[in-house]
Amino acid sequence: MRSKTSYFNGTLFRKNLARFWPLWGGASLIGALFPLAFLTILIREHSFLGEPMNDPLSITAGYYSVVAWIIPILSLLYAALCALAAWGWLYNPRSVGMYHSLPITRKGLFLTDFLSGMAMMLIPYAVTGGLAILVSAAVGGVEPVGLAVTILAVAGQSFFYFASATAVVFITGNPFAFAGFYFIFHFIAAGAEWMVTRLMTMFYFGVERSYQGVAEFLSPTMYLTRKLNVDTTSRQIVNSEGWEETVLESVTLANGWLIAVYALAGAALLAFAWGLYRRRRSESAGDVVAVGWMKPVFRYGVALCAAFTGGMALYDLFCESGRTTAAALPMAVCMAVAGLIGYYIASMLLAKSLRVFRGTWKGALATVLASIVLCFGVAADPFGMERWTPQAEQVQQVRLWLRGWNGRGVTVVLEDPAAIRQVLEVHRAIVAERETLDRDRFEGETHYAYFDLDYYEDPEDFSGRVNRSYNLPCNDILMDKSEALQKLAALASDPLIQEANIFDQISGENVETRLTGGYASNLYNLETKDREQMDLTLEQAKALEDAVRRDIQAGHFGRTLFMLDGRYEKAAYSGDLDLYYSVTYLDRPQTGSHSCSVSLSLSVYCTETLKALEDLGVVNETRRLLTYAERDALENEEKGIPYTYDDPYSGYYDEGFYPADTVYPGDAYVYPGEEVDAALLH
Amino acid sequence: MIQIQNAVKRFDGFAALDGVSLSVPAGSVYGLVGPNGAGKSTLIRCLTGIYRQDEGALTIDGEPVWENEALKARVAAIADDWYYFPQASIRDMARFYRGFYPNFSAERYEKLKEVFEIDERRPLRRLSKGMQKQAAFWLALSAMPDYLILDEPVDGLDPVMRRQVWSLVLGDVAQRGTTVLVSSHNLRELEDVCDHVGILDHGKVLLERSLAQLQDNMVKLQVVFKDGGGVPEDLEVLHASKVGRIHTLIMRMGAAEAQNRLAVYEPMLVDAVPLTLEEIFIYELGGADYAVKDIVL
Repeated sequence: MRSKTSYFNGTLFRKNLARFWPLWGGASLIGALFPLAFLTILIREHSFLGEPMNDPLSITAGYYSVVAWIIPILSLLYAALCALAAWGWLYNPRSVGMYHSLPITRKGLFLTDFLSGMAMMLIPYAVTGGLAILVSAAVGGVEPVGLAVTILAVAGQSFFYFASATAVVFITGNPFAFAGFYFIFHFIAAGAEWMVTRLMTMFYFGVERSYQGVAEFLSPTMYLTRKLNVDTTSRQIVNSEGWEETVLESVTLANGWLIAVYALAGAALLAFAWGLYRRRRSESAGDVVAVGWMKPVFRYGVALCAAFTGGMALYDLFCESGRTTAAALPMAVCMAVAGLIGYYIASMLLAKSLRVFRGTWKGALATVLASIVLCFGVAADPFGMERWTPQAEQVQQVRLWLRGWNGRGVTVVLEDPAAIRQVLEVHRAIVAERETLDRDRFEGETHYAYFDLDYYEDPEDFSGRVNRSYNLPCNDILMDKSEALQKLAALASDPLIQEANIFDQISGENVETRLTGGYASNLYNLETKDREQMDLTLEQAKALEDAVRRDIQAGHFGRTLFMLDGRYEKAAYSGDLDLYYSVTYLDRPQTGSHSCSVSLSLSVYCTETLKALEDLGVVNETRRLLTYAERDALENEEKGIPYTYDDPYSGYYDEGFYPADTVYPGDAYVYPGEEVDAALLH
Repeated sequence: MIQIQNAVKRFDGFAALDGVSLSVPAGSVYGLVGPNGAGKSTLIRCLTGIYRQDEGALTIDGEPVWENEALKARVAAIADDWYYFPQASIRDMARFYRGFYPNFSAERYEKLKEVFEIDERRPLRRLSKGMQKQAAFWLALSAMPDYLILDEPVDGLDPVMRRQVWSLVLGDVAQRGTTVLVSSHNLRELEDVCDHVGILDHGKVLLERSLAQLQDNMVKLQVVFKDGGGVPEDLEVLHASKVGRIHTLIMRMGAAEAQNRLAVYEPMLVDAVPLTLEEIFIYELGGADYAVKDIVL
C-alpha cells in the first residue's frame, strides 16, 4: 500500500531559486533601477521629497501604462528564461534520470517547479513594484484601487506567460526548439494570417494590406499591447494661484478584463502542460518534438509555413517580383519546392538525422499537392476579396489617399455619407474594370496613379478596418475609355473631397478657427526676373479664402491631378498661396490656440482665386503667377532649351541646353487629335 | 524483494525489454549481466522510476515502483552517468538529497567523509570521474537505502577504492539487509560480490540463478582420451578445444554427471575445473549466438 505523497518539495523549490538567483536577481536589479532613477530625478528637481509632484491618479495612470505596454513584452521574454530555468532539466537525459529517480512524484515535481518558476517571474516585479510604491508614496501618494488593479494585472500576465511557456516546455525536449516553439506559439496566429493575406496580396488586384488581425487574440502580446489602454477623464480647475489647471478625475485600465481572460487561458494551458508531462516519456529528452501526436503537426506545419513564406520568397527571387498580381502556376511551383524543403527539414529535425529521404515520398507528395492546391485555391479568390466593395451603410469613415502621376495628391478622412457614396462609386468602377486596370495585364507605356482606401466600420475600433490600394495606369487612351479613371479624376476635384482636403485640419465640431493672414509665394517678377513672396493683409486673406471656397465648389481644385505629360506643367502654377489660421480646440482649452497654415496649389482652372489675386493687386503686370512651363521657358530663355540624353545601352549620359531658337518637339506634348485647352493659352 | 514480471519497454518500436522476468531476493546482491544493448540500463531505469514499462509489472516489496514516492525514498540509485548540478559541491548535493530521502543520515555522511577523502566543498565538476563516482556512493550510502540499484558502479574507480566501496556495500547488506541490484560488465568483480546472477540478452532474461547454482550447472573438464582420440561425437558439449593431447570441454551439467558420462569412453585423464562467471557468461551467450567471432582483419 502506498504511503504519503507530497505535492511540493521545499528542498527542490529552494534549490531552484538558489541555482538561478542570477536570473531573478539580475532582473530585480534592472527593474529596481527604474524607480530609483525616477527618485533621483525627483531629488534633483525638487529640494525636498514632501512636495507633491504627482497626484495619486496620475501615478496610477503611470502604473497602468506600464501594465498595458511594457509588462506584456517583458513577461513574454522573461517567462521563456524562467521556464528554461525551472524546466531545463527536462532537456538533458542525465538530469531527467536524476530527477525522476528521486522520491517525488511527477505531480510533486510539476507543482514545485511551476511554483519555483512563478517565484522567479514575480520576484523582480515585486522588487520593482515595491520600490515604485515607495517612490510614489513619497511624491504623491498611492491610490489603493489602482495599486490593487496593477498588482492583479502584473500577476495575471506573469501567470499567463509562464503557464504558456510551461505548456511549450513539455512539447519539446530541446532548449533551442523550446525558444522557437515558444515564440511560434505566441505569434503563429498573427503570422499565419500574415502569410495567407500576403499571398492574397500577390494575387488580388487592390488587396495590398489585408492583414486584419482577425485571430490576433491568439497572439496575446500583440493583442494586449493593442487592446489595453489607459482611459482618463479630467476637468479644468482654477488653482490657488489663479491659474487654470487640468486635474484627473478618474483613471481606468481599458480592457483590463482581458488579462483575467488570459489568466484563465493560462490555467487551461497549465492543465494541458500537466497532461503532456504525465504522458511524456523521459527518453524524449533531446527530441525536437517530445509528444508523439505532435510530430506530424510539426512536420506538416513547418512544410506549410515554408510553402507560404519560402514560396513567396522564391517567387520574388526568380519570377517577376514587384508585380501586383502573381501568376498562379509559377507561384504554385515555388510553393511546392519551398514546402518540400520545409517538409524534409522538419523530418530531419524529428529524426535527428539527415537520412530521411527513404520511405517519406508519401508525405513529400502530400506536401507538394497541398501546396499546389493551396496556391490555386487562394488564386481563385473563393471569398471574392478582389471584387469586394462595402455597402455604403457599413462604412462610417473612409480615409482616402489619392495621388496623381505627378506626385500631387489628396489625403482626406471622409465621414459625410454623400462623400463616402462617391468614393464607393469610384471603387466599384475600378473593381468592375479590374481586368483592364490591373497593372500586370496592361501593356503599353503609361503613368500610374495611386488610390488608397481605408474603410472603417467603426473609426474608434482599428480592427474594423479594410484597406484597398490601387496602382492605376494612366494615359490618354485609358483616360478616354475608362469610366473608372474618369470617375477618379472627377472625384479628385469633387467639392466634398477638396473641401476636406484643403480645410479639414482647421475644421471640426469642436474647433474654433480664425483667419489671421497669409502670403503668396513664388511670384515671378518679370522685371527683376526673380521670385517674390508677398504677405497678405487680413482683408486680402479673407477675400482670397472666399475665392478659394468658390473655386472648390465649382470643382476647380484638383483638376490637374491626372494631367499627363506636359499639360500639368502648362496648367499648374509654380506659385503657392498660404493662409494662416488661429485654431482653438474647444474640448482641449488647456492647450490654448495654435497657428495653422493651409497651403494651396493653384492652377489655371482656379479662376475665382486668380481673379481675386488680380483684383487685390497681389499679382499684376509685373509680378505674375507663372505656370511651370512658363517659368521654365523664362528661366531657360537665355540658356536655351534644356535636354538630357541617357542611353541605357551604352551608359552615355549628357545634359545641357539647345539654343533658344531650336525647333524641338515641345509641341508634341499636345497629343495628335487633342484640343488645346483654351485656358492653357492664357 | 524486487520482482519483475514480463516487463516490456519499447523505443520507437524497438523492444529494449522484451518480456523480462526476474526476482531479486531481499538482502541479496544480484548481478545483472549481459552484452551491450541487452537492456540492463533500461531495466534499471524502469526500476528507479525513470522509465515506465509499456507492459508487465515491476514491484519492490510488492508495491509498484512507478510514481511511488514512499517506496522510492527507500531506493537509492547510482546511474552510469550520474548527474549533479553543475555548480554544486558534494555538500550541496548532500543537502539536496537530505530534502528527499527521509532516512538520510548526516551522521553516516560525516563518517563516510573519512572513507572518501574528497574536499566536500569542491565543485563536483572539478573532480575526476572516479572522484565523482565516489561522491555518488557517498551520497547514496548516506541515504540509508533498503535497496541500492547500481549501474556500472565502480567504473572509473581505482582498485583500492573499488574494494573499499564494495566493502561498504556488502557491509550494508550484512548489517542492514540492504538488497543490491548491480549491473556490470566486470564479471570477475561481480563473481566476488554477487550471490545471484541474471543474464540479459536482447531484452530477455537468458538465465537467472544463484551463483552456486550457475556454477553447478556448467562444468569445465580437461580430458585426455585413449590413443590420442578426439571428442566422441555423441558427447554433448557446449564448447571444445584442444591443446596437445588435452581436450578442454564445457558441458552443461554438474561435474559428477559429466565425469560419469565420460567414464564410458575410458579417458586417460578427467579433471573437473570450476568455471568463472566470465566463462559461464561467454559460453551461455555463445549458445545465444553471441560468441567471440574469429574475424581476420
